[in-house]
Amino acid sequence: MTHRDTLLVEEGEILGHQAHPGEQFILRLKAPRIAQRARAGSFVHIECHPLLPMRRPLSIMRAEPAAGWIELLYRAFGAGTRLLSAHGAGTRLSLIGPIGRPFAPHPERPRALLLGGGVGIPPMIFLAEEMRRRGGYSPLVLMGSEVPFPFTTRPSQILVSGIPEGTIAAMPLMDDWGIPSRLSSLQGYPGCFHGYVTDLARRWLAALTPAQRGEVEIFACGPHPMLEAAARLARDYALPCQVSLEEFMACAVGGCAGCTVRILTADGPAMKRVCVDGPVFDAATVVF
Amino acid sequence: MGGQAVNQDDKRALELDFCGMRFATPLVLLSGCVGFGEEYTRVEGFSNRDVGAVCLKGTTLHPRLGNPPHRVTETPMGMLNAIGLQNPGAHHVVREILPRLDFSETRFIANVSGSTVEEYVEVTRIFDDSPIDAMEINISCPNVKEGGVQFGNDPAMSARVVEACRAVTDKPLITKLSPNQTDIAENARRCIEAGTDAFAVINTLTGMAIDVEQRTPIIGNNQGGLSGPAIKPIAVLKVHQVYQVCRAHGVPIIGQGGVCSAEDALEFLIAGATAVGVGTGLFYDPLLCPKINAGIAAYLKRHGLSEVGQLTGTLRLNGQTVCA
Ligand SMILES: Cc1cc2nc3c(=O)[nH]c(=O)nc-3n(C[C@H](O)[C@H](O)[C@H](O)COP(=O)(O)O)c2cc1C
Ligand code: FES
Repeated sequence: MTHRDTLLVEEGEILGHQAHPGEQFILRLKAPRIAQRARAGSFVHIECHPLLPMRRPLSIMRAEPAAGWIELLYRAFGAGTRLLSAHGAGTRLSLIGPIGRPFAPHPERPRALLLGGGVGIPPMIFLAEEMRRRGGYSPLVLMGSEVPFPFTTRPSQILVSGIPEGTIAAMPLMDDWGIPSRLSSLQGYPGCFHGYVTDLARRWLAALTPAQRGEVEIFACGPHPMLEAAARLARDYALPCQVSLEEFMACAVGGCAGCTVRILTADGPAMKRVCVDGPVFDAATVVF
Repeated sequence: MGGQAVNQDDKRALELDFCGMRFATPLVLLSGCVGFGEEYTRVEGFSNRDVGAVCLKGTTLHPRLGNPPHRVTETPMGMLNAIGLQNPGAHHVVREILPRLDFSETRFIANVSGSTVEEYVEVTRIFDDSPIDAMEINISCPNVKEGGVQFGNDPAMSARVVEACRAVTDKPLITKLSPNQTDIAENARRCIEAGTDAFAVINTLTGMAIDVEQRTPIIGNNQGGLSGPAIKPIAVLKVHQVYQVCRAHGVPIIGQGGVCSAEDALEFLIAGATAVGVGTGLFYDPLLCPKINAGIAAYLKRHGLSEVGQLTGTLRLNGQTVCA
């Protein structure tokens, strides 16, 4: 079988573990082999604590193959992630990864619109970095959050037409990479668009010429209602859209069928596994 | 225990005969945990050669989409699942999946499921006419509306299913017993009379977990099957009880429920199992099987045993205690 030996079991050593408001954590792990193979959209199945019976799937936010590390961003809201958040530098945790079919951007659509909501932000950061490395893309990254963003926001140095006046807050890392980004929230954070990230996206799309819109592809990761709105947006403008889905997982290697979602196929509706058939799916095939 | 490599002598010591099949080791990968046999080979370092047999996902006559999400959730030292027997149907499994399996690596066992006696028979017949090595009759699935555990909890119905399947195949038949019944030993006795060659003990226990904010069950199917370390002591006792019935007939048992280490596996063997299943434990450690093999081999050596089969049913019960 062609998929043999594609997933690695690697002991990851914690290099850094930063706490951010809203119970958010950025975890950097030394895992050179997984860092080498990770792609935007792939995730790791991580041991949170040896006394828990199950691992947790967490998407990869960044991978630095040269330095041999990967970075994860997660919210501690359950037993597993709360125990995970207590580990400090030097702790070694078993990882399975990198798992899943990554995002597959179409080069003929260089105006990539990246939408990340809450814990769905990490894969969008990875995708932006991948597009920057590959070249030929001009992505716009829009991120929404109802808890403070896990980074210090800063007024963007990069102008983007079609973005409402006053929506100036950006992620500094994106600015450093020369990639425009904007933020949205219902919480009234300064410089952020007041509304959903998909509403901000709609405004930007509406301001494009039809020719420009013909070069757009949407990528989204976040809570279900946000992905549904992204799929609707794509449908309204007849744009391709790739979404990264989440579901509870047990094995994360395709063995248990515990993580399935309903997907439309040529043969009718099917239950597809988020872990190995996804997590990235064509939004037009997802039954929300 | 565990970790060290297994040498040639150890390898021989781990081999065994199970209903005429040669198992390379006493470990069996459990139905529903390893898809249709090849999924875990994605993991570097994992090999089907490390186990005696692999049980394929529960298979029905017609394709089934299975249950809505969530299908799995963690519980204290275990997990609940309600997959709902998602499978592409017996014909598809035989035509499309079996030809792609590498039968030189291990033995493959089909998991026969159904809603009626006739369906069990039909699926058995389809697998009988295939390269599959043996069949496991799943009369203990808690996650479907009809059949499954309804049959498994009624000794008379269990025996009817076994007898009907027996009539259409000469391949080894393993009956998978439910722990959700009053007298598992009585059920085993009836299934032996009906012609089963072996038992799998136990399937999952039914359970529920509730999201207190939403006041809804976490599992889409409302209830699910509990597996993992939480059920191990129950499973060990059930194996012990079924073994009391099996011993006289030479009917072997695949003991299972929460095995995560060589010690766990040894408990099952001593309680009366001939082989030991690994399911949920794999989700935490996909490379668990070689560690268990090495641990069992080291134990055999330490206890002066030359074959793993010598361990089966060697439990020495404590004397009667005085209850006031
Ligand atoms: C996700 C999942 C799916 C399962 N599906 C099946 C199945 O299709 N047929 C079956 O006979 N048992 C099924 N089982 C039960 C297992 O084969 C095994 O008997 C049980 O989980 C106890 O072993 P364990 O604690 O090592 O997992 C399933 C268990 C799990 C966790
Ligand atoms: S989590 Fe087991 S198949 Fe996806």
